[in-house]
Amino acid sequence: MSARVPLVPEVRARIAEIGRVDLLVGIPSYNNASTVGHVVRAVAAGLAKYFPHARAVCVNSDGGSTDGTPRVVAEAGFSTPGALLVTHQLSPVHKILTPYHGLPGKGSAFRTIFAIAEQLGARACAVVDSDLRSITPEWVELLLGPVLQQDFDYVAPLYLRHKYDGTITNSIVYPMTRALYGADVRQPIGGDFGFSGRLASYYLSRPVWDTSVARFGIDIWMTTTAIAEGFRVCQAFLGAKIHDAKDPGADLADMLVQVVSSVFDLMGTYERQWRGADGPVPVPLFGFPHGVGLEPVPVDVERMLATFRQAARDLREIWELGLARDTLADVVALAPAEPFRFPDPLWVRVVYDLAVAHHRAPVAAQPLLRALVPLYLGRTASFVMETADSGAAEVEHIIRRLADAYVSAKPYLVARWTAGGR
Amino acid sequence: MPRAGLESVLSKTLNELWDRMAAFAPNVLAMLVILAAGALVAGAVHLVVRFGLSAVGFDRFASRSGVRTVLERGGVARPASSVVALVLAWTVLAGFVILAIGALDLQIAVDLLSRGFLYLPQVLIALALVTFGTIVGAVLRRSVLIAAVNAGIPLARGLAAGVQIGVLILFAAMALEQLGVGRQIIVVAFTLLFGGVVLALALAFGLGGQSLARDILAQLAHRGPAAPADDARRHL
Ligand SMILES: Nc1nc2c(ncn2[C@@H]2O[C@H](COP(=O)(O)OP(=O)(O)OP(=O)(O)O)[C@@H](O)[C@H]2O)c(=O)[nH]1
Ligand SMILES: [Mg+2]
Repeated sequence: MSARVPLVPEVRARIAEIGRVDLLVGIPSYNNASTVGHVVRAVAAGLAKYFPHARAVCVNSDGGSTDGTPRVVAEAGFSTPGALLVTHQLSPVHKILTPYHGLPGKGSAFRTIFAIAEQLGARACAVVDSDLRSITPEWVELLLGPVLQQDFDYVAPLYLRHKYDGTITNSIVYPMTRALYGADVRQPIGGDFGFSGRLASYYLSRPVWDTSVARFGIDIWMTTTAIAEGFRVCQAFLGAKIHDAKDPGADLADMLVQVVSSVFDLMGTYERQWRGADGPVPVPLFGFPHGVGLEPVPVDVERMLATFRQAARDLREIWELGLARDTLADVVALAPAEPFRFPDPLWVRVVYDLAVAHHRAPVAAQPLLRALVPLYLGRTASFVMETADSGAAEVEHIIRRLADAYVSAKPYLVARWTAGGR
Repeated sequence: MPRAGLESVLSKTLNELWDRMAAFAPNVLAMLVILAAGALVAGAVHLVVRFGLSAVGFDRFASRSGVRTVLERGGVARPASSVVALVLAWTVLAGFVILAIGALDLQIAVDLLSRGFLYLPQVLIALALVTFGTIVGAVLRRSVLIAAVNAGIPLARGLAAGVQIGVLILFAAMALEQLGVGRQIIVVAFTLLFGGVVLALALAFGLGGQSLARDILAQLAHRGPAAPADDARRHL
């Protein structure tokens, strides 16, 4: 399968030179010069400390950075981990730097990493984001260990994040994954994963690389595919996730649409699985959960609310195309209310209505998904206000309450899905 | 004499009218029969094509090949097989209508038909242009509206409507040009309309913009650029 993924000649030569490896760690990057050096060193140290006898390779798949990211990766202290560690790497850790082909995006970078993993015959692989500030060598052991030693196929990360970080995860992706497929994976789009060589090959064989999976849809696609195809899935507790603030130029609408349309596409692919799935079950957890300090994430509630309120005036005609009549009426009625609250059950109906609209006419639903942005901002504003004084445990409780609302509303989803959304 | 005269004139006229109608009746009858047959045939074509196509998996082919996508973008929700069947059925019906009019054997109908046929290509092109323009205008209006609301631009609706009207005017002008309606008139009308729209937009923005500009300036003065203060909007 990897034969179908074009690799540049230098990379093919490197692969031939290296031959076979046991472990592979992939790092996608795009203008992360300030952080990627730390990530590469953490990976090298982790490999040396926890897998000193393994043949390992570290693959950086860069999206054409203009800030010198590849140079930082190339120069990152790699062969001299001795200064950092007690143990020395006994077999060499190789490094491959590669560009990728296809649609620009994180998913395309991963595809190249999968192809290299397959050609090198890696047994266990991991990918880690290059904008991480909180990665430690231990992450390497936590992501690769369950695959290598316990025969798991997929290791999802579990981290502590600031209450306002990961709001798409908390308000849509986590509760959906749990309600639909019955697997309580708390960070399905965390960005840092472990997976078996077998699963990497399976990913490569899927015909999804010209969809939003090639971009930010990759994470939820990997997680959902692993769950729905019956691969063995676990979680690993990694501590804190502290990563760079997003490039302010990045468009929220693009990211949201890519992630959400991937979730909805997957509902089409795995309809049988999610309709037949049992209630949520816990997923095995590795590592030792502990409390951590987190960097606060700033938010501007007023602006989010203003966008939502304007949309309630101006976007009704678009929302009408996808939301059920009752849902629309309830949403519009929220706008003038003070204090503002977006109730859990209503938010769930919004998301389920859109899933059905997408199922009925995927292309016609594209603008609808962009028009989801203000709804999401309204819901997020409500969440921020509700949790303004809450500690981590209470926030977790509130997120779980929403997740349960998704589960209780599943019959509503099934009914509308079956009726074709009428 | 006048009495008899009037009577005879009247009866003569009535008789003539009757004769004419009697002579014409077969034509009318023929027309009705042809129309009825047309409706039947068109209906049959519709049924056969619709079910034939979906039986051979045409809809699956359409969604895989992207035809479906194009239809959806144009706001057509029905399956591709039904679209093809409808188009064919209407074409068949149109053929029968032409035959039916021909059956009337009226000079004026014949003239109309033959002129219509000569003019037909331009009319079709003009129609296609207007249809296309309507679709493009609607699609653009929607995208502009959503993008503007997401970016928090006030008067998003006005902006979107302006874009749509501009597109419509552009395509309408091209359609009229096809029909050969006096060029000068079109150019002048277009300039007037377009100028008017731009002026209206400029005014709208000027008026609405005052408060916007004030907000932006205030924001800049008080707490620097607004963008980075808004991280939760951007994290997955
Ligand atoms: N090669 C490549 N990497 C990308 C691209 N876009 C993002 N990435 C990488 O993907 C990783 C995650 O991207 P981020 O922009 O941090 O996304 P995020 O919102 O932090 O996502 P989460 O961490 O899941 O919340 C980073 O390592 C980026 O360098 C791209 O276009 N090409
Ligand atoms: Mg990040």
